[in-house]
Amino acid sequence: MDPNDVELVQRVRSGDEDAFQQLVARHSRALFGIAWRITGNTADADDVVQEAFLRAYRRIETYDGRAGVATWLYRIAVNCSLDLIESRRRREAPLTAVDDLTRFSGEGASPERTAHAAEVQRAIDAALTQLSGNERTAFVLRHFEGVPLEEIGQILGTRLNATKNTIFRAVRKLREHLQPYTGSLV
Amino acid sequence: MKHLEHEDLILAYYDDPAAAGARAHLGSCEACRNELASIATVLDQVTPSATPDPGDDYEARVWSRLQWRLRGEKRRPRVSRWLAWASVAAVATLGVCTGIVWKPRNGKIEVAATSTAPATAAQPVKTTTAAPAETPRDRILMVVVSDHFDESERVLVELANLNPADGTDLRSERARAESLLVSNRLYRTTAKERGEEQVATLLSELEPVLLQLAHAPDDISSDELRKIQKRIESRGLVFKLRVVRAGVRETSPIPQSNTNI
Repeated sequence: MDPNDVELVQRVRSGDEDAFQQLVARHSRALFGIAWRITGNTADADDVVQEAFLRAYRRIETYDGRAGVATWLYRIAVNCSLDLIESRRRREAPLTAVDDLTRFSGEGASPERTAHAAEVQRAIDAALTQLSGNERTAFVLRHFEGVPLEEIGQILGTRLNATKNTIFRAVRKLREHLQPYTGSLV
Repeated sequence: MKHLEHEDLILAYYDDPAAAGARAHLGSCEACRNELASIATVLDQVTPSATPDPGDDYEARVWSRLQWRLRGEKRRPRVSRWLAWASVAAVATLGVCTGIVWKPRNGKIEVAATSTAPATAAQPVKTTTAAPAETPRDRILMVVVSDHFDESERVLVELANLNPADGTDLRSERARAESLLVSNRLYRTTAKERGEEQVATLLSELEPVLLQLAHAPDDISSDELRKIQKRIESRGLVFKLRVVRAGVRETSPIPQSNTNI
């Protein structure tokens, strides 16, 4: 029977590198998914996954078992993504070409509407790149990942009201960017 | 009647547990329901694409890259200078023993004897052969250089992503840079002698950055860190490393058993 994640963490603590390899095998794909959603491109997501596992290895002693190992790793990956976005922003290097993070929901319609949908999708993606690291992360976690507000606050290290406000700012910016299109979307 | 704040409406849209109070209000307030519908008009359009498939071997690739960095972790704290030089000596010895180190002269390559031909300790026999298109020894060099680029790229990416304002601890990166620096010098010389201009040039560009990092103080200032980051960025070093490494791998398929050399 395969050891569970907590057993693997205990083995890593006692110096078992193979146990860490098993954790990597189990969770790297999920971490790639969330990192991609937040950073917006596969190369950055790859770097985040690397950094997240490295941080996890360095901080393996701090895992206290209150959350599952998967959740713990997930939080680390989110924070790594956030750090990457913020470090880029501070150096005034905007996020590079962003993959299509969103898909306009009105597919299968007339060519005009499809073209319009593509335009809206570009606007949404452009709007997402304008969000701050915290706004983008909070929005992605709430909107795409379905993470409850309280947990987002724990991940970002912010209080409930601040987290709520962060998501509000993200949505407001999206609405502002999409205002020219919303009339025809209804 | 006091209407809901937008923050609460957004939570209501997501049906977040924190929006319990808002839901009760919405049942009896048409104005708020209309505002919620307006928010929904926008948010309903933002639907996620499928996450790109990172490939069947993704887990193996992650682990392969990670192993190197974990080795770096285990070397902590700082690698001593004598150990770094000892590793150069070991690489050089390995190079001589396996014939990695070439001395091209007049279009020919002088290879240190590794054959079973008789030789005395004082006068090692050297054989001179015409340069082949690509020998297994070339590939070994390229494997080693490719791994060197791989590790260098990781150090530079980590460095580029550090936030100077956070009071940075560079010990891990510095130890790795020290180790890379000594190898870098050896590979640069070898690549130049071998006529691998592109590789030699990149190694030359890499060296000052590794040098700067290897000699960085414990309490590096944010300005100093920014300078290093700027140097990496302005020269496009990470990009160049990726490009050249990809080229090296393409032209010199790596035998799996040799990747740990």
